Amino acid sequence: MDTQLLLQLLLNGLIVGALYGVVAMCFVLIYKASQVVNFAQGEFLLVGAWVCWWLLTTYPVPFYAAFLVTLAFMMAFGLLLQVVVLRPLIGEPVISVIMVTIGLSIFFQALMKWMFGVFAKPFPPIFASQTVDVLGLQVQTVYVMSLAVSVLIMAGFAWFFKFSRMGLAMRAVAFDQQAAQSLGVSVRTVFALSWGISAMVSAVAGVVVGVVNGVSSALSFFGIKVFPAVILGGLDSIVGAVIGGIIVGLLENIAHYFDSQFLHWGNLYEVAPFYVLIAILMIWPYGLFGTKDIERV
Amino acid sequence: MRNTGHVLRAAFAGAALAATAWAPAAAQDIHVGHLADYSGATSDVGTPYGQGVADTIAWINANGGIGGRKIASETIDYSYQVPRAVSAYKGWAGRVVAIQGWGTADTEALVAFVSKDKIPYYSASYSAALTDPAGGSKADKPAPYNFFYGPSYSDAARAMVQWAAEDWKKKGGKGKPKYVHMGANHPYPNAPKAAAEAYAKELGFEVLPAIQFALTPGDYTAQCLTLKQMGANYAYLGNTAGSNISVLKACHAAGVKVQFLGNVWGMDENAMKAAGEAADGVVFPMRTGAIWNDDVPGMKLMQAISKMSDPSGTAYRPIHYLAGACTVLYMKEAMEWAADNGGVSGENIKKGMEARENWVPKGADGVCKPSAWSAKDHRPTLEVDLYQASVKGSTDASVPELIKNGTIKMTKIATVKLPRKQEWLGW
Amino acid sequence: MTSVAYDRPSGDFKTSYAADTTIFPTRTSAAFCVAGIALVAAAPLYLDKYGLSILIQIGYLGIAALGLNILVGFTGQISIGHSVFFGFGAFASAYLNNEFGVPVFFAIPLAGLATTVVGLVFGIPAARLKGLYLAIATLAAQFILQDFFARATWFTGGVAGTPAEPLTVFGYAFNTDARYLYVVLAYVVVMYLLATNLIRTRDGRALVAVRDHYLSAEMMGVNLTKYRTMSFGISSFYAGVGGALYAHYLGFVSVEGFTILFSIQFLAMIIIGGLGSIMGTLMGTAFMVLLPEAMTALAGQLAGSAIDRALGLNEGIAFLREMAIGAVIILFLIFEPDGLAHRWRQIRAYFKLYPFSY
Repeated sequence: MDTQLLLQLLLNGLIVGALYGVVAMCFVLIYKASQVVNFAQGEFLLVGAWVCWWLLTTYPVPFYAAFLVTLAFMMAFGLLLQVVVLRPLIGEPVISVIMVTIGLSIFFQALMKWMFGVFAKPFPPIFASQTVDVLGLQVQTVYVMSLAVSVLIMAGFAWFFKFSRMGLAMRAVAFDQQAAQSLGVSVRTVFALSWGISAMVSAVAGVVVGVVNGVSSALSFFGIKVFPAVILGGLDSIVGAVIGGIIVGLLENIAHYFDSQFLHWGNLYEVAPFYVLIAILMIWPYGLFGTKDIERV
Repeated sequence: MRNTGHVLRAAFAGAALAATAWAPAAAQDIHVGHLADYSGATSDVGTPYGQGVADTIAWINANGGIGGRKIASETIDYSYQVPRAVSAYKGWAGRVVAIQGWGTADTEALVAFVSKDKIPYYSASYSAALTDPAGGSKADKPAPYNFFYGPSYSDAARAMVQWAAEDWKKKGGKGKPKYVHMGANHPYPNAPKAAAEAYAKELGFEVLPAIQFALTPGDYTAQCLTLKQMGANYAYLGNTAGSNISVLKACHAAGVKVQFLGNVWGMDENAMKAAGEAADGVVFPMRTGAIWNDDVPGMKLMQAISKMSDPSGTAYRPIHYLAGACTVLYMKEAMEWAADNGGVSGENIKKGMEARENWVPKGADGVCKPSAWSAKDHRPTLEVDLYQASVKGSTDASVPELIKNGTIKMTKIATVKLPRKQEWLGW
Repeated sequence: MTSVAYDRPSGDFKTSYAADTTIFPTRTSAAFCVAGIALVAAAPLYLDKYGLSILIQIGYLGIAALGLNILVGFTGQISIGHSVFFGFGAFASAYLNNEFGVPVFFAIPLAGLATTVVGLVFGIPAARLKGLYLAIATLAAQFILQDFFARATWFTGGVAGTPAEPLTVFGYAFNTDARYLYVVLAYVVVMYLLATNLIRTRDGRALVAVRDHYLSAEMMGVNLTKYRTMSFGISSFYAGVGGALYAHYLGFVSVEGFTILFSIQFLAMIIIGGLGSIMGTLMGTAFMVLLPEAMTALAGQLAGSAIDRALGLNEGIAFLREMAIGAVIILFLIFEPDGLAHRWRQIRAYFKLYPFSY
């Protein structure tokens, strides 16, 4: 048993898991507010990463400036998407809306490839030192950055939903749309805002992954990777999404550890989370933190 | 079942499509199908390769065609989806005399069809399973009408293993060197796996259990840590560029010191730019005898071909472009042979392909490597050029600039000659 | 969703239960159906190989999509792993034929049954899970089975794929498109009739009841667990048969084909066709098969034309095509969220009531 390796893998799982958690959180935000399962979540990462990359390579701006402009752009992008594409679909069957998000995903995949080409493009170096040493593991600086940013975002979310007027409105809509509407909460605004915030925060993850691996259309696979995280945590729990993401990140790395050290079956990294997912769902059908529906007739 | 009028509509739509899909072409033209991936999962390498194919066909037409007859090629971008490739093929069958194809899955799916319809199929899949035209080898089935230019995936991997064995000796390594195969559990990375591992064992390597990573970019730190812990000396990266870049970067960050061995579709100018210094030192096989701007006689022809889509003549063409151009040049000369020997038909093109030894297309000396196909053996060459990637400094600029200022360099480090063993045919 | 509002002119009511559950509501609809089949049967006379291959594709994908519609449209379960069941059927049929010498004629339905068993296993969570949680359980099925395909060399030929022999009956090989079309057509007719009949039975109505209000259904004596799992089984049977037909048409099955994108395409087919509509399924399949082909043809026409030169599109055309596919799906659902079946009923009603539409 190589504890050193296991420790490093766990640490790595935690870091990557936090990133899954951020994306899962965005996914849940949209689901909670507007009951839409967003298959285009991965494209938010993609668009965000490309926009930031384009700003950095076209204009001589420092990273933080480009990053902030990207966030602002993504906010507007999410709002616009909701208003133009998804608003007409309010009241339609949920599954039609899901299909529209699939259509959006196809559309933006192609658009990004057309605009920025099909090759993976690297980000210009952003940090003076590419890696930092954490407990003996060489971690990319940007991951540490992202961990900090993620925690910040999560704290921001907590404040927003607990204390701000808009946040309270969003929670009200998520809890009971009709009741909220009858009390004067603008459901339209809440829907639009949830898409805006979701797109913006996803872009953070997109930029981080882009800095680590280079930007390419493959970024959008993150959108599918977060499904297990979201379900593990429970579809409508933001805290659950974050924890679910971390669990998935850890699971991947633990599975890889046993695979490479003892089992040699190969590919457990990819599939083990799904086995665990089914097992968990068999015990807790609403995920670890999801609200259990109490149904009355 | 309610009214089924929609079947009618579907049928009409199908008929209408079939009617519009084929633009009329002059009767004496030679029809060729070109299957390309410009928008799918492999479009990063599919685009330059497809451009090379298209430009070379344009150049042939601009320079007298095949004995005065023009090649009427039809390009279909099938987005790397097998069903689309099959329906494209159905549209071509019976009309085209040859097809320039692309990926692993679609090429394999079409093997039975092209054999039956006697249409030479030039793939960009170099799977060794396509090299046995007669049957009887380890390949599942004979593939008499499949051709490709360059060493097969297996032979390229064997060549790198052989190089690694010599490199180990040269560096004065002690004990048994450790070799590990890395890649997804997918047809493409797995194609050379068994061949390379068997050969590595034969050459005295300790073969470690394979490490798997998905075909998509992601965080592969876990894999790199394992690689480090296992103490591997030589690691074969079997995936395509996107995920290889992730592994290289993750291993670079984790401080893993391993000699990586790439593959033909896993390392090129763009991958070097994207991976940056992490790609420094990777050894990979090269299909052509030269890279763009190399001073070899054949480069003049390549520049002329390049001008078909870039009249200014300033574009930098990646290695895949040259490979695509060579593939078409072989097809061209096989067609000319067929024209002189009974007419340009699929069967005659196949015979034309199998008629020559040490074959270099006219004017392509130094670029297209001498190749030979025979009725019993479709391995074009067993001589593999190995190049080493060198990346020094930041890779912010565009690829042509990076090449120009020497940030990115590909240097030939060895030419490995493998014996043409009968028992290596087909796997 | 299976509204019959437009089926008959006003004042013409059904007066018996038999009339309510008949397959063809009117004689004309039966005639149309027979004419449609005849027209497809005559297709080799007026379509070339390309057209035939598209018809065949619509056929085998349509069968698999119908299975998904029974699951999603009629029972209200969501599945995003349909393509692996399709793939399982393809491998199973090829395997039965290659390893045990089972004639393809029998291998195809047997593959359907084998897939049913697998579907039932993955349907077990359906007894406990609802809605999206279930959807994600099917997503797990997608990844687990995909991994299994790559691993199980004995079954799938591993990563090299496996060959599949053409269908032969008494020495007559269905090895050309014109011949194979009849095999697929026969299967489409039988499978679609079976599905239509299923919906007319007690079991079929139970499925719909589970979809519409499962609590009420349970109170009326519908065994929820049984019907939820059963709909998974039926859905997998259809997917398996569709996959088997695909295998013996292509002659080769590769693990690469059955990805999540393919599963999503199946969902697109039934949503665009119309959830809970049997004929809509076929329309949706035709739509999803023809859309990329039409866009490719359009792109082919556009390439090198005046518009292309003016805008300098060049290789951009490939992406424009993909964007158009996405855009058509979005626009379609914004303007026609109930699917093609709904639009078709409206068109029919328009002509039926012309000129006195109300």
